[in-house]
Order: sequence, then C-alpha cells, then structure tokens
Amino acid sequence: MPDVAFVALSVLIIGSAIFALEAKELIYGAVGLAFSLIGVAGLFILLGAEYVAMFQVSVYVGAVVVLILFTIMLVRRESGRIVEEEEPGRLGRMGAFVAGLVALAVAGAMILLVPVSPEAPELHRVLLRDIGVSLASSYSVALVILGLLIGATVIGGLTLAKIDREKRTDGTAQ
Amino acid sequence: MEPLSSYLVLSSALLGIGIYGLVSKRNAIRLLFSVELIVNGANINFVAFARYSSPPILSGWNIVFYSVAAAAMEATVGLALILVAFRLNGTIDVRRLNRLRG
Repeated sequence: MPDVAFVALSVLIIGSAIFALEAKELIYGAVGLAFSLIGVAGLFILLGAEYVAMFQVSVYVGAVVVLILFTIMLVRRESGRIVEEEEPGRLGRMGAFVAGLVALAVAGAMILLVPVSPEAPELHRVLLRDIGVSLASSYSVALVILGLLIGATVIGGLTLAKIDREKRTDGTAQ
Repeated sequence: MEPLSSYLVLSSALLGIGIYGLVSKRNAIRLLFSVELIVNGANINFVAFARYSSPPILSGWNIVFYSVAAAAMEATVGLALILVAFRLNGTIDVRRLNRLRG
C-alpha cells in the first residue's frame, strides 16, 4: 500500500521539475524549480530529517531560486523572451533517449546492488544538539574548508559580476 | 513506510530529467536548473540511505548539509558567469557562446 504523502510528493517533484525545464517563460520555470525543491524538502521530512528540510528550504528556495530570479531579471531583454529556444527536434529526442537510458541504468543498478532492508528501522529522534556536536567534532575540518570555500565564492562572484569602471571611462570597452 | 527502492527510483528520475535538460536545452540558466535537479536527486539518496541503514547514521545528513551549501555556491558562481557572458555577448544561448572554439 503506497503512502499517499510519498506519491503526492513524487508527483509534485517530478511534475514541477519537468515544468521547470519545459516552461516557455524562464520566470515560470524558476518558480517550477522552487516547487520541486520544496517537494524534496517534504520528502526529507517524510524521511525524518526535519533539519535537513529546513536547511533545504532556506538555502535553495530562499537563496538560490531568488538569485536565479534576479539573474533572469538582469539578462531579460525588452522583448521579454530571453533566447529563442529551438523546438524540440532531434536534440530533444536524443536528450530524452540518453536521459531515459541513464536513469534506467542507475535505478536498476542501485536496486540490484543495494541490500534492501525490508522494513525501515525505528525512527530515532535526532536532536539539533547531536548534529551540532557531530559538525563541530568529526566534521570540523570540513566545516572550516566549507567556510573558506564560501568566502572564496563570494569574492569570486563579486569580482566576476562587477563592472570595470576604468575601462568604461577610457572608452576601450565596447 | 515506503521501501527504499521507491526513493531510489525517484532520485533516478530526477537524474534523468536533469540529464535531459543538460543535453537538449540551449539556455544557460536552464542548464543550471538541470544541475540543481541532479544534485537534489543525489541528496534524496543520501537522506534515504541514512534513514534506512540499520543503526541510523548521521553522516548522510551532514553530507547533505555540505552538498546543499556547495550547490548554492555553484549557483552563485554560475550565475555570475552567465551575467558576464550576457554582458560580453548579448546572449546566454550556449550554442552561440562559441568564441573560444578551436
């Protein structure tokens, strides 16, 4: 007997993922991506990982999708459409074929190779304190490296996106 | 409770959708959507395996924390690169960004 919540979340995730890629307007596609990520967060709650779900919603929906929306606004032309996307022709069919093949192969390999436990073990309540302790003890080096990486990313993104004013006043830039 | 294999099938479907987008789409922002979908499929696998392992392990959650943070950074740099490409070329169509083609 399939779980109703799982089926509903799967339909939400898959449907809005396809909508994100196939929507005519890129803005609607970003909104579809946000719904798909919210569905993944719901799946995390179903799996008993509420803190991961909170992190997922705050970082993905709160930061990444908003960033994507701002970028879409910045690269939008006056005409509205961003690039002329070609009709799903040979490339679309080839993409669907390759994707279906890879997904089937990966799903089959995982189901065959993984020793599936018939019953999920009893759900242990994980406290936020336990996550904090494990982040600060056994994963502390990874946490520090992650912080350095975030700093480097912010600096790199700002450096890439800033407009070079000296070149512009010289008139050397186009 | 669902069996583990249904979560694996769902994450494989997300992987397939992402690969379809990477192969067939021309808009750089849609390629970024596809990468995010693939990363989310991987995250579902991490959390599902952590839940179904017989003494429940916390490492799956921690790895998902790092993975989500890394995906956010990747989106930041990717969007900055898209902005620069749009400023230089006036388009984000990846089949017309071929100035470096040898």
